[in-house]
Amino acid sequence: MTLTISGLGPHGERAAPPERVSLLPEDIAAAKAAGKRVAVVLHTLNGDWTRLQISGMLGIFGDCGVVVTEVVDCGFSAERQVAELDRLIAAKPDAIVALPVANEQVAAAFRRVSAAGIRLVLLENVPTGLLPGSHYTSLVSSDNFGLGGMAAAGLAPHLAQGAAVGVLGFAADFFATNEREIAFTNWMQANRPDVRTHVRRFGTMDEAADLAERMIADHPGISGVFVVWDTPAAAVSIRLAATGRAIVMATVDLGEDVAISLAAGRPFVAVAAQQPFRQGVVAARTTILALLGRTIPAWIALPGVPVARDNVADSFQIIWRKPAPREVLRLLGLTP
Amino acid sequence: MSPHAAETAESTRTRGKGRPRTSETAAPSLIEILNLIRSERATTRQALERESELGRAVVADRLQLLADLGLVEESELGLATGGRAPRLVRFSARRGLVLVATLDQTAIGMGVSDLSGNLLTEHHEAADLTAPAAQLANRLATLFRWCLERQTIPTAPWGISLSVPGTVPSIGDGAFMTDTPPVLPAWEDFPLVETLTRAFGVPVWMRSSVETMTMGELHAGAGLGLRSMLFIKVGRRIGAGIVCDGQLYRGAQGAAGLIGALPVQSDGLSGTLDAMAGSDMIQREGRAAADSGRSPVLADLLRRGGEITPIEVSQAAQIGDPAAVAILSTSGHLIGQVVATLANALNPDIIVLSGTLVQTNDILLAGIREAVYGASHPLVTRDLRIIRSQMGSSAGLVGAARVASEAIFAPAFLKDWILQGKPTLHPDFAAFRARTDNAALRASADSAEVPPSVAAPPSAQERS
Repeated sequence: MTLTISGLGPHGERAAPPERVSLLPEDIAAAKAAGKRVAVVLHTLNGDWTRLQISGMLGIFGDCGVVVTEVVDCGFSAERQVAELDRLIAAKPDAIVALPVANEQVAAAFRRVSAAGIRLVLLENVPTGLLPGSHYTSLVSSDNFGLGGMAAAGLAPHLAQGAAVGVLGFAADFFATNEREIAFTNWMQANRPDVRTHVRRFGTMDEAADLAERMIADHPGISGVFVVWDTPAAAVSIRLAATGRAIVMATVDLGEDVAISLAAGRPFVAVAAQQPFRQGVVAARTTILALLGRTIPAWIALPGVPVARDNVADSFQIIWRKPAPREVLRLLGLTP
Repeated sequence: MSPHAAETAESTRTRGKGRPRTSETAAPSLIEILNLIRSERATTRQALERESELGRAVVADRLQLLADLGLVEESELGLATGGRAPRLVRFSARRGLVLVATLDQTAIGMGVSDLSGNLLTEHHEAADLTAPAAQLANRLATLFRWCLERQTIPTAPWGISLSVPGTVPSIGDGAFMTDTPPVLPAWEDFPLVETLTRAFGVPVWMRSSVETMTMGELHAGAGLGLRSMLFIKVGRRIGAGIVCDGQLYRGAQGAAGLIGALPVQSDGLSGTLDAMAGSDMIQREGRAAADSGRSPVLADLLRRGGEITPIEVSQAAQIGDPAAVAILSTSGHLIGQVVATLANALNPDIIVLSGTLVQTNDILLAGIREAVYGASHPLVTRDLRIIRSQMGSSAGLVGAARVASEAIFAPAFLKDWILQGKPTLHPDFAAFRARTDNAALRASADSAEVPPSVAAPPSAQERS
């Protein structure tokens, strides 16, 4: 597992390691005595990534006597997030841990949160213009630039000299997916200048498969595809399989479908995985230290985990805190 | 309004009797009205009449023309102060975009802003500025194109503004760059400005990183609304940005604030502030403390195969390593003594400290504060705040955006493009662009080997 952080923060910050926000016994005692309330506002409540984030957070908050008053689902909607934030401002929790679903559309609502005296810890994304210290306490994210490069490095050995690669980015202006897309193409340009990249961006997850199909129709030479996260990537892989084309794929995050495909050896050959449980733990620790008025780095980044067929079973356990699916173990010959 | 409408607005709009509605003589009042709206000093017709001291008919005429040019919009209703609510007049900040970049010793930052200097997107990545300039220009162009592609409403860039790690000579109010100053050794023979002008067809502006960060801090950070500010950037070099009467002071040559060249003394040694207190000294002393075992934290890091950079020394000081604390404290005191001299000369409202070293530990900040408070006149320090910047490298991007927006709308520059609708049609710029295109053509004809150029699509990437 690489522990290097290759990206820079949303304002060019150098990353602080997750160890920088550890809780001492006196911090835990002080947090328990303070009896704080925290709300969590996420882009969606569906999927393992969210489930693990929440579970990582809740355990730490529980240990420290911090009550999570609600976990809000924004359904990927900027309007809904703005409305939920305004509702929460009125409810006045001591802190909000939030994943901004957009950039400009939600920036003003997040400014209102901090102006109302509510501590704000952001996950993954900072709307442009918001500053650490003034508008939010800290950003806790994966090293998304590192994840993009890692996916490219994993896919590259499976690409013939002069191959073409399709990149499916996310159309929304979102720090995490922007960084992955930039890093993937940057890695290819720097390390595999023979590879041509064709970029398309989907606005909704439902569009991804259609877009991928059109892209390979327009560019029949494409032999590899990178999608910026796993859920749309899984949908793309099913659609491309139906075309009968031999295309290898890479993505970010080790969802179950992707893990099974990695174990099967096709079409996924490389995954750069986040560590959502650990990220939840770090976000909760950061929030508690913020509530106690401690100095906190502006950007805390967690390194990604490179996953291929040979380490998919153990990586699954590290990332999801549960055994790999039976199908993965069967395909790897680890179980009958 | 169609893209061409702005270019033809002047020639097609006529009054009833067939004479031109607005002539060249209208330019001064157009500029005044546009800048009143842009700076939000006047946001209704009544306020415009009052501030500009122009008649109602003239204001109405100029507003109509500015609306036709796509530079202002008048729609929302403002607050009524009796009678009908007035319509609000706003500057159309999204009429064009500004591409901005910060080039640092170890990183590049890139972003896009609207014409008011508000950053819309930003991205930072590690980079090596000693690499060939052509490579850097290619990377910048790739990132700029990526940024432009991502705009939901396709909008043309109106300018590029660069923040660079060196002094940029003054070239006059609003004037764009027509050559590349030798800011870095690696750029000596590479026409970065000309290359970017050719690739994007827009004027390029350039300022030192201390100047852009000062502008950023003044307009979007701790200096917001203040008239007097000192901005100190601490890195390998130590520089000061000076704000007087709400304006960045550049000096006669654009070289104001080079405090790193001042001589200082410490422990019987003397040298420049850069050499005695900059990050090279911190790294060197940190390494020596690790080697001698004076710093247990840094020695342990070395044993584990780690590298000692100024950041490691800074982090070691933050967790209480005595040798690292002493190194940063010395640096802070030396910087503080020089800053105190400036503070006594300028009496600022605020001193903002920036740079990775200042961001990662409190010792340097404490050392600077102690020296400034100890060596300043009581009146100077009575209400003085000394803080660290919260903007990080964003300050440079925001400031670069402000440099471009101020230059684009500087009256001396604006007067020659306003009637054309966009600055890329300014006659001087059009002539410069033609010259750079011709020079590039000649260069490629003269040489069997085609020079590296960002005008060509990136070698192996197709954005389709």
